[in-house]
Amino acid sequence: MNGYTSRRQFLQRAGMGMGAIGLSPLLSALQAGDRSLNPLAPGKTHFAPRAKRVIHIFANGGPSQVDSFDYKPSLAKYDGKEMPGDGLKTERKTGALMKSPFNFSQHGQCGLWASDLFPKVSAMADDLCVINSMYANVPNHEPSLMLMNTGAERVNLVRPSVGSWITYGLGTENENLPGFVSLCPGGVPIVETQNWRSAFLPGAYQGAHIDTKNTLISKLIPDIRNPRMPRELQRRQLDLIQEMNRQDAGDGTIDPAAEARMHSLELAYKMQIEATDAFNVEREPAHVRELYGDTLHGRQMLIARRLVERGVRFVQVWHGAGQPWDSHSEIAKGHGKLGAEADQPIAALLFDLKQRGLLEDTLVIWGGEFGRTPTVELPTPGANDANTKMGRDHNHHGFTMWMAGGGTKGGLQYGKTDEFGFKAVENPMHVHDLHATILHLLGFDHEKLTYRYAGRDFRLTDVHGHVFHDLIA
Amino acid sequence: MFRTPSFSCLALLLLIPSVPLATLRAADEAAKPAAPAPAAIPETAKVAFSAEQIEFFETEVRPLLAESCLDCHTGTAAKVGLELNHREGWLSGSDYRKVVDLEKPGESVLIKAVLHSGEKDIPSMPEKGEKLSADAVAKLTTWIGMGLPWPAYDEAEKGNDPSQHWSFQPVEPGTLPADAGHPIDYFVSKSRTKAGVIPADRADRYTLYRRAHFALLGLPPQYEGAKGFIEDPKKHAEAWPALVDQLLASPAYGERWARLWMDVARYADTKGYEGAGTERRFIYSYTYRDWLIRSMNEDLPYDQFLLYQLAAEQIVDPASPDKKHLAALGFLSLSKNGSQDEILDDRVDTTFRGTMALTVSCAKCHDHKFDPISTKEYYSLYGIFLNSLTQDTPVIGEPRLGPEYDKYLAELAVVQKEVDDFLKPVLEKLAKEHPDLAAQPDKLKAKIDREDRRKLSNLEGKVQKFIADAGMEADKAIILRDRDMPINQHVFIRGNPGRRGVLAPRQFLAIASEGGTSKEFTKGSGRLEMAKEIVRPGNPLTARNIVNRVWMWHFGEGIVRTVDDFGLQGEHPDHPELLDWLAHWFIENDWSLKKLHHLILTSETWQQQSTNAKETENMLVDSENRLLWKFNKKRLELEQMRDGMLDVAGNLDREMFGRPVNILEPPYANRRSVYAFIDRQNLNPTFRNFDFSNPQETTGKRPSTTIPMQALFTLNNPFVQDQGEVLAQKTTAAEDRIAALHRAVFAKAPSESDRQLAESFVTAFESETSRMGKRQTNTEWSYGWGNVDEATGKVTFQPFEHWVKETWQVGKERPLKNNPLSYLYVDANGAGHPGYTEKESLIYEWRAPADLRVAVTGILHRSNVGKGNGVRVKVATSSGGIVFDKVLDPAKDKLEVTIPELNVTSHEAVYFIVDPHEKNSSFDSIRWNPELSDLDNKWPKWELAESYSGPATPASAWGAYAQALLNTNRFLFVD
Repeated sequence: MNGYTSRRQFLQRAGMGMGAIGLSPLLSALQAGDRSLNPLAPGKTHFAPRAKRVIHIFANGGPSQVDSFDYKPSLAKYDGKEMPGDGLKTERKTGALMKSPFNFSQHGQCGLWASDLFPKVSAMADDLCVINSMYANVPNHEPSLMLMNTGAERVNLVRPSVGSWITYGLGTENENLPGFVSLCPGGVPIVETQNWRSAFLPGAYQGAHIDTKNTLISKLIPDIRNPRMPRELQRRQLDLIQEMNRQDAGDGTIDPAAEARMHSLELAYKMQIEATDAFNVEREPAHVRELYGDTLHGRQMLIARRLVERGVRFVQVWHGAGQPWDSHSEIAKGHGKLGAEADQPIAALLFDLKQRGLLEDTLVIWGGEFGRTPTVELPTPGANDANTKMGRDHNHHGFTMWMAGGGTKGGLQYGKTDEFGFKAVENPMHVHDLHATILHLLGFDHEKLTYRYAGRDFRLTDVHGHVFHDLIA
Repeated sequence: MFRTPSFSCLALLLLIPSVPLATLRAADEAAKPAAPAPAAIPETAKVAFSAEQIEFFETEVRPLLAESCLDCHTGTAAKVGLELNHREGWLSGSDYRKVVDLEKPGESVLIKAVLHSGEKDIPSMPEKGEKLSADAVAKLTTWIGMGLPWPAYDEAEKGNDPSQHWSFQPVEPGTLPADAGHPIDYFVSKSRTKAGVIPADRADRYTLYRRAHFALLGLPPQYEGAKGFIEDPKKHAEAWPALVDQLLASPAYGERWARLWMDVARYADTKGYEGAGTERRFIYSYTYRDWLIRSMNEDLPYDQFLLYQLAAEQIVDPASPDKKHLAALGFLSLSKNGSQDEILDDRVDTTFRGTMALTVSCAKCHDHKFDPISTKEYYSLYGIFLNSLTQDTPVIGEPRLGPEYDKYLAELAVVQKEVDDFLKPVLEKLAKEHPDLAAQPDKLKAKIDREDRRKLSNLEGKVQKFIADAGMEADKAIILRDRDMPINQHVFIRGNPGRRGVLAPRQFLAIASEGGTSKEFTKGSGRLEMAKEIVRPGNPLTARNIVNRVWMWHFGEGIVRTVDDFGLQGEHPDHPELLDWLAHWFIENDWSLKKLHHLILTSETWQQQSTNAKETENMLVDSENRLLWKFNKKRLELEQMRDGMLDVAGNLDREMFGRPVNILEPPYANRRSVYAFIDRQNLNPTFRNFDFSNPQETTGKRPSTTIPMQALFTLNNPFVQDQGEVLAQKTTAAEDRIAALHRAVFAKAPSESDRQLAESFVTAFESETSRMGKRQTNTEWSYGWGNVDEATGKVTFQPFEHWVKETWQVGKERPLKNNPLSYLYVDANGAGHPGYTEKESLIYEWRAPADLRVAVTGILHRSNVGKGNGVRVKVATSSGGIVFDKVLDPAKDKLEVTIPELNVTSHEAVYFIVDPHEKNSSFDSIRWNPELSDLDNKWPKWELAESYSGPATPASAWGAYAQALLNTNRFLFVD
């Protein structure tokens, strides 16, 4: 971290070099948080927050709860038998119950039952707050992604994403970086940029999408590098601009917007260095890089840590473009591969945050837009591939998510699904409740974090949502 | 909370303002068909309750309700629509029925529910928590029998009669005294004088000239024109209005003002989200945009402007040249896709928020919480759009004939044939299965199974894509047409299409109708009748809405700051008399927008400076400048900025109209931003970084933010840099370059201090670049190959010449057999390979930007452990020769390359050299990411991987200067 501090000093020096801009009272006001001028100035919470930032690991496509963190011995017992009772409706036709191809065992002092799909994450069981009783509204990707990301499942309802709401509420701790970053390798998930859109909130709160498959740092953030001038020359150019601005302002009152722009020019200059620094995992010592693993997922999880460490409020880490966790067929193979990709990086992130003392006020969330059926998906003409076998369909009736850090109770397993893991039956927690609880941990009353638009006060949870205090330490 | 009152009730309301809302509500219950026969509520409802009754409520009933009922039955989120937190809610009951019987309280559904009577269709309440005690039920029954006594102070909190709200009152024409002068100044100065704030002086002619250009044309002024205006001997009172007229006559006016209206119309060139295989583009969206530009330029009266956008197909003869007006329907038809319900919602919202500043959509699920708009009225409007279908795209332009078009048709036929070839056997098969439908292809098509439908839709998507890509079709209008047989719309209870409520006949909003009552529409969908109601001169909202928006587009804020909400939650006008006077004047003056601009721009209010000598004093009274004591300095909007940059560089392509173009992704078009392709679903983030409107929904006021991403764009984006370079190239050393650039960018000559800054910048920039010499990249790093002479320590370094797929290498291809040089390369991670011998060593060169004391660190990795003979790693400097020299043992996978301290002078090179070692380059793939740290901590660390980049396109000194001018506040703000 030496480089980081010295960089700061360097920048301060450079900014003060030629044609120094005096800090007017207005500029100080700007830094102190006049949000009409600076939408990313730190915001005020309603009460003391437990978490100051969020990393949301999005296992998009729908990871199976009964193959990961929701152990159901009955599945093995009744493998191949019809599930008793009226079947629940999901997207496609499913058949008999299907046992998990993964082996379950107990982990941590809390004795969490988890499968060998996530062995390293499970080893962190005492830090996890596992919610087995999540539920959503429909078994389809698009609406469920929208529900999870914006609180409004209709794809065509224009609502800001969770990250935008949080950035709107909290501002940023580091103006040299975007407040909300969405890491997704190889492209975009389905429903695309709508997953991190700011909708009717100002554009300053939109998520900055970064394709972590790119290794060229200059390609990660648009316009982050000046392609035609080395740094020394750019500084000269910037100093010229600022000097002209200063002379034009004269000695009289300087217009707030004009002054805000002068400030933002300096921020942009600093961002060029700080942003590339944040994405440069090469700066990490070898043992840390090894901890995360030298893979795409290791790299993006490490980037996520570097971002929150630098004050980014909300980082979403997607497994990949499209819907990778969507194992309709051959779940052993599909999930097996995805688990192998994600397990170590996620475990490393938790471990690393913890050893740095960051886990205390960083909320980590893992999960998909829904889970999967305990029953096997059947090949159905027109709906899926004729070779569909040993896979599971979408399931919104009951699924698992976990949180860690940020004021949540570690070692807790909360809520229950039915005997087979199909439907949430004990302490069911709707996605709106999850949102209300996340906002609560961040210091916001979800009913009061509102934005006036088109004649009404909008909020993330609309008219729904309850804070689940049982999950809070 | 408010229903369409019958006429008698309204009269009552006007006569007795204090009449409780409940009266109206209760009286209207009779109209609710689903409900059982109403009890005699109206009379009892008027009864004033005694103090004892109120006390009974407060002590016995209120706590009971709070404890057992209100968790689920409060406000608009109440279960089954039963709101028990106010008296009206008790009276109106649930979405389905009445719950109290005031005559026979014991028979009330609610009482049966809390008694857990078990009767059919009566649930046991409360659902959660304990059953009420017999005592509690008795108290509730008594209370119902009293007629539901409820204290007036609860009611009072709800506020006054919403229909008395300012915006629903008729526009007051107002009167002007004979010596009023300019009417705008008269009204504004009246308020200013009252508050004791002092207006600013009139801005100078240069400022006004520039301001007017951006305001009316969205483009910067030109030097000659500005000079001519400044030196015009005519008096300001003559010269200024003439200039305004001249600008209003420019075709660029339409391009600017169409774009502003496009915010209201949530214009986009794509429909929104669609699954793979479906074409997202509208193909003909641009004809609406072009219609807007033409209408603005022709100054189509605003009432007609709206009529065409809402119902053109019903007033235009499709056989006449007037058919061009059909494109106006894009206002409705270019809505975002979705379910039918979502599309209709969007059309209602865009229409009413856009033209009347009413948030009627708030009444979709429940009566509007604040404004006098009922759910039934919402569905009355919704029904109009339900009966307006988008199926047609009539041709409105000239057909494109000729060989090119024929070629296009032939190619299209090939793509279309794929659809036909696929469909034919499918339909034949279905015809056999359903012989009864064989003659009805449409019904047969509906039987196509899911898999085939998917295939068909992909093929059809290909056809649409082909048409959209080719852009060869004649211009078409995407229009709406009424259903032949209108369908009646019912209220959807709580907005749920599955729950039908009362019939909602198609008709207008009562609050904006003549006499406060609306009549059922009779012609088709009623859309034309609706449009006529909107532009009815007596409509209190339409004219106010547009003059207010125009005001906002000129001043940065509206007279009513909530420009798309004139309801009770919106702001009141800062200058109510002025707003009304303008609205009235606008209608009297043929609804002419150009006349309105002229009126505004010729006011002294608009012509004020953006600074005020009494700034401090005025700020104390009115810090938000609501009293308009100066002009609000404004940052250029995205379109003004981009068009302005292109224009001052002489690069702006002034071609008008036509299909949309990409303006932010290279190769970007140089057309005006109004022609930008707007991707509704995945809008390039730069648009919204610059506060561009959200194309998903109608926009009132764009946000105004300042964020570093904007500065990153203006500093680093090649588009901006290109404009600087092009601008510089248009000047020559033979002329006064500084003056030429200032005239181009600011339409003004440079000041003495501008000249000094320019000269010192250019001199320093040039000397710096010449000292650097020709550079491979724009960083401190270069990548290449060569050799270091072991005796002298002198390095011969040859930079790589080819940049292929983000790799630097010697030739276009690599590796080639028997070509030692073709093995050489380096990539973004510092991975690379040397040539055959030490003469083809791989070399990374770093040049010091200043005199420095640095430390070198970094590890060289070689993965082919045990194979080959390793590599020899050297570090040398241009003045000191070899400073590091070690061989990486082939049995090891890495070598630490550390030099604790190294002194370098400015521009001195440090070379990082990989020699294949003893002329054996087999298995010599390496990865090396050397780092240099400034031991004096003044500079950030240099690291190969972080700085890695492609070929340099170096900025010229004058190009960098011109780009700097485009980055100044002087250019980016309108004063």
